[in-house]
Order: sequence, then structure tokens, then C-alpha cells
Amino acid sequence: MSFRIRIPSIWRAKRFLYRLEGYRCSRCGEFHTHSRYVCRRCRSRELTLERLPTRVRLVDYTVVHQATRNNEDNLPFIVGLVETPDGVKILGQITDCEPEDLAPGMELETTFRRIGVDGDANIIVYGYKFRPEIH
Amino acid sequence: MGTAAVVGVGHTQFGQRSDMTLAELAWHAIKEALQDAGITQRDVDYVVTSNVGGWSSEPLPAILVNEYSGLGDVGVMRVEAACASGSAAIRAAYNAVASREAEIALAVGVEKMTESPTLQAVELLGRAGNFFWEFEQFGLTFPAYYALYATAYINQYGAKEEDLAAVAVKNHFYGSLNSLAHFQKKISIEDVMSSRYIAWPLKLYDCSPITDGAAAVVIASEDMARKLTDTPVWIRGIGVASDTSNLSRRQNFLGLASTVKAADEAYRKAGIDKTEAVRRLDLAEVHDCFTIAEILAYEDLGFVGRGEGYALAREGETYKGGLIPVNLDGGLKAKGHPIGATGVSMAVEAVKQLRQQNAKARQADIKNGYALTHNVGGTGHYAYVTIYSLNRPTQS
Repeated sequence: MSFRIRIPSIWRAKRFLYRLEGYRCSRCGEFHTHSRYVCRRCRSRELTLERLPTRVRLVDYTVVHQATRNNEDNLPFIVGLVETPDGVKILGQITDCEPEDLAPGMELETTFRRIGVDGDANIIVYGYKFRPEIH
Repeated sequence: MGTAAVVGVGHTQFGQRSDMTLAELAWHAIKEALQDAGITQRDVDYVVTSNVGGWSSEPLPAILVNEYSGLGDVGVMRVEAACASGSAAIRAAYNAVASREAEIALAVGVEKMTESPTLQAVELLGRAGNFFWEFEQFGLTFPAYYALYATAYINQYGAKEEDLAAVAVKNHFYGSLNSLAHFQKKISIEDVMSSRYIAWPLKLYDCSPITDGAAAVVIASEDMARKLTDTPVWIRGIGVASDTSNLSRRQNFLGLASTVKAADEAYRKAGIDKTEAVRRLDLAEVHDCFTIAEILAYEDLGFVGRGEGYALAREGETYKGGLIPVNLDGGLKAKGHPIGATGVSMAVEAVKQLRQQNAKARQADIKNGYALTHNVGGTGHYAYVTIYSLNRPTQS
């Protein structure tokens, strides 16, 4: 049995996955990673395309030591929960550092990376990751 | 709504059960539950089967189990609420009886996880969240979801990895006294601390295992329960709640909001003041899929205040004789966690504890006649809290 995703699912998510662009409710401010007609919090229909800031704050993270097929090559890897200055929380892998370099509250920047390969044809999936700022 | 009580329970050996098919495993639990209730298949009006599947190949497990068990042509359905499926089955069976649609209903939980290789089971568990945005893109596994809660908790309150380990040590201790448990070996803090990381800070011994097993309970109306037994165990309150699929939309990572909501509902229905719960309950069965989950449960269920749960584990206050005994059957950690069977297994344990049918070393002192089960699906995606009692509910 194959559990891989297909190209359309990546295509539908490309705005957010490639550019961190989502839909902000102009009435209540709720941010959505997918295109929506109605705000999930206040039911407003006024949603506008917006790009998230590239600098975020690390809230929480874990280091994954046992993973499934599509991520086995990268073990161990870090997955973090981060927060933008206006409070949007998103998940993502953290790269270019060791777990010891991280602490909750520190600033991270976004970077565009190869996330993995998908399906029998090994289609390369790209997307955002986070990394400590390089000084 | 009428009242309903558990009048029969059955439970198979948990572990790697390559000796039986899914239907055979379920039947062993059903047979024991029917015998315990003193009834036969013909007396059962309605059946609810809890099975998550995926790792086993049966897409219609409820039908398969009914036919194999000779339950005839009665109404049946399969329910899914991830790791809380068993409690969802009990709630559906309870509702059938309490609404007087059925006199006797059967809730069965069965899971055969070892039909698939371990990594495939791990993958299927990891998909139990927001598949695309967590598992596929970021590689978060099921232990990793709870690891995010563990790191947040440790950072906020200063708990240590050793405090999480204390939960595993306790549950393995009680697993060693439970002949139906998957793991019946005691472990030490050092064993936990030296086990390899799965998703930091959670190590192998912080995680519940991949297990096969089945459990069943017979639920009867008040009139029927009085005819069948002189020790009915009344279902006094069931609370149910849910939470966001994507963890990034959670308010915080220091507790499970769904557990809090479900517990509040269950306590209210049972007439228990949450601040008094720890004195009213003789024992609790909580959802320790990972050690951190048991600590969060102490706080979400109101046994202690926020940030105090890890001290309860550290000081051994959830052993028999402590503030409140928790998971005297070994919990998911040592008894095993056959996903669809777990919630029903908790109910079986609660009933046997209230009837004082366990070996003395792991039998709680029954003073008030109340037990609580807490069953979580996913990472707080589903939550069920159920209160069982020897005391009949007062008429409302």
C-alpha cells in the first residue's frame, strides 16, 4: 500500500509552502494557510492574500529520531513551532543548526529548501524551513 | 434518558497476538463479557465495534466480528475516534440503552496492529493529525506531537525528564502485576533514561507499545441490570470534546483543552465538584500513550493545579495508597495500547476495580465507589471522560 501524496496536493498548497502566503481575515485578523471563502473564526468573507514576515520566534521544538520512509534520510531532524510577530503560529523543520543551538524565544529566519521526495517517481518537494539568523 | 449500567466485562491477553484473527480475538473478549453478565448472544440488541484499522486488512470489522461471534442480525456499527474509539463505542452503546432503543448493548474494542510492520504502523499513527501540514511536509510522528507538549511543559514548569520516567516506572510496576498486560517486567528510572530518543525529549520507554488485543463490555438498562446482577456498575457521566486538527492552532501546549472540557461535562453529569474529584474518586484510568500525557492528564482532570502534575509523578502520589491511584493495570504504557481496544479496556479495568476483583497488590481501596476513565484520541483531537460508580444515579 502506498501512502504518498500526489502532485495536486502540493500544487494546491504552493502559495504557502513556497512563499508563506496565506489568507488574512480583514475583519478579525485570523490567518489561514489555505485559500478560503469564509474566515474560520468570525465567518467574514473578506479575506486578503498576505505574505507572512520572514523573521519568526521559536516557541517550541522537538528532535525526531525515528521517522518513516520519506524522512529517513534526514534523521535526526528538528521540527519547530514558531510564531510571527503578530501571533500566527506555524510548524516547520529547522535546519542549518544543531538542537543545542536552539532555545525557546530565539529569532529564526525562513529559507527555501528541498523538503523530500514523493511517490515512486521521486518527485522533489520544495518548501520553507527555518534557521537561526546568520550574523 | 434512562439509566444504564455495565453488567459484564471481558478482556483478552494484550500483546503480539499472531495466534488469532481479528474476529477470533474480539470473540474471546465478547464470550467472557457475555458469561460475566450471565447472558447469551441472543440477549444482545445492539453492537458497537471500535476498530481503527489500517494496519489490519478488514474494512468491515463490525460485520466480521458480529458474524464470527454469532450475534445474529442485530444492528451494528463500527466507530472511529482514533485512540479514543473504545470510549466512543461505549458512549454509543450507552446512548442506545439510556434512550431505551436497546435493553442490552455490547461495546467491543479490537485492534490487530502487528499485522503490519512496525514502521508502517508508526506511519499510520503519524498520519493521525493533520496529515498534509504536519506529517507529510514536516515529518512529525505521533511521538513528536506529544514531544512538543513535553518540551513546552518542561520549559514552563522546570520538570525533568526523570519526572516523565517516573510515570513509566509506575506503570511498568503495575503491568508486572497484571497477567493480561503486554509488558510484565518492572523497569527503573535508569532503564528509561538510557533508552534511545524517539522524539526528544521522549525516549523509547516514554512511549506506549504497538499491541494487539480486544475488550468488551455489556451495558444494560436499569431493569435488566437489576435482573442480571447485584453489583451493576452505573455509567454516571460521559463527557466528550474535540480540538483542532492542526497543532499550530492550539492555544498552548501545557494541557489538552479537549480533556478539560470533557472532564467538566463528566463531573457535572456525575454530580462531582471538580475541585473535590481527587477525594471522590477511588482510582483513575488515564490515557498515558506517552509519559507526558499522563502528567498533563493529572492537571487537565483537576487532580492537581497547573504545573503540579510532575511533582505527583515524582513523589509517587499516583501509586496505590497515594493521593489517587492511576493506571493500576499498567496503563497504555505497560498493558499495551491496541488503539481501538484501549477505551473499552479502561472500562473493564474500572469495573473490575469497583467490584474488587483484582489481585490484592493492584486492587485500589474502594471507599466511595467511583472510578474515572480518560481516553484521548490523537493529540487531544478527541477526548472522552467517563465516570463509573457502584452508586445508582439519583432520579433527575
